[in-house]
Amino acid sequence: MNNRIRELRARHNLSQLELAQKVGVRRETIVFLEKGRYNPSLRLAHDIALVFGLPIEEVFLFHDHE
Amino acid sequence: MKKTLVMFFVAALVILSVIVWIFHAKLTWGTQEILMVSGVVIIAGFALILGIKRLLSHLRKEPAEDEFSKKIMTRASSLSYYISLYLWLMLMYLSDETGLECHTLIGAGILGMALVFFFSWIGVKLLGTGHE
Repeated sequence: MNNRIRELRARHNLSQLELAQKVGVRRETIVFLEKGRYNPSLRLAHDIALVFGLPIEEVFLFHDHE
Repeated sequence: MKKTLVMFFVAALVILSVIVWIFHAKLTWGTQEILMVSGVVIIAGFALILGIKRLLSHLRKEPAEDEFSKKIMTRASSLSYYISLYLWLMLMYLSDETGLECHTLIGAGILGMALVFFFSWIGVKLLGTGHE
């Protein structure tokens, strides 16, 4: 699973800490999410998508073969 | 914040106990003593690092724990439990071979389990859980 968090964060002019505070997690979690080293819970994915005003599937990209 | 203070307190208590032990036991500083003291120092250092991380999170107004840090802890715990089973098997074999005393065996087992947890935590943290 890939995600567009880094790109969307830059587009919304948000720092990692600001995004983390908006969704109620540690900055470290955002770092690991952006690097693709952590798959978020459905709740966190929903909250992140909500911050960017997009549906989950436009923030988190699923590949059929996975 | 309360949990952070408890972690600092426990780490300080462990370090203090080691210092008292070193001064009172009049250690001979053989391989066994050096290994044991190094293990305790690593574990106390680990507790201090976790405490400092929590304190920094508090200063940044972040939650001290979130779903990712809890997942890291859970994965490290399950992995270290699995490895510890083999550690105890190995210690039991060693005690038969070398005639280790019971209290030495238990001490080595407890210290070994703590070290296994520390290294599991580092490993899980470095690798992340994105592959799961």
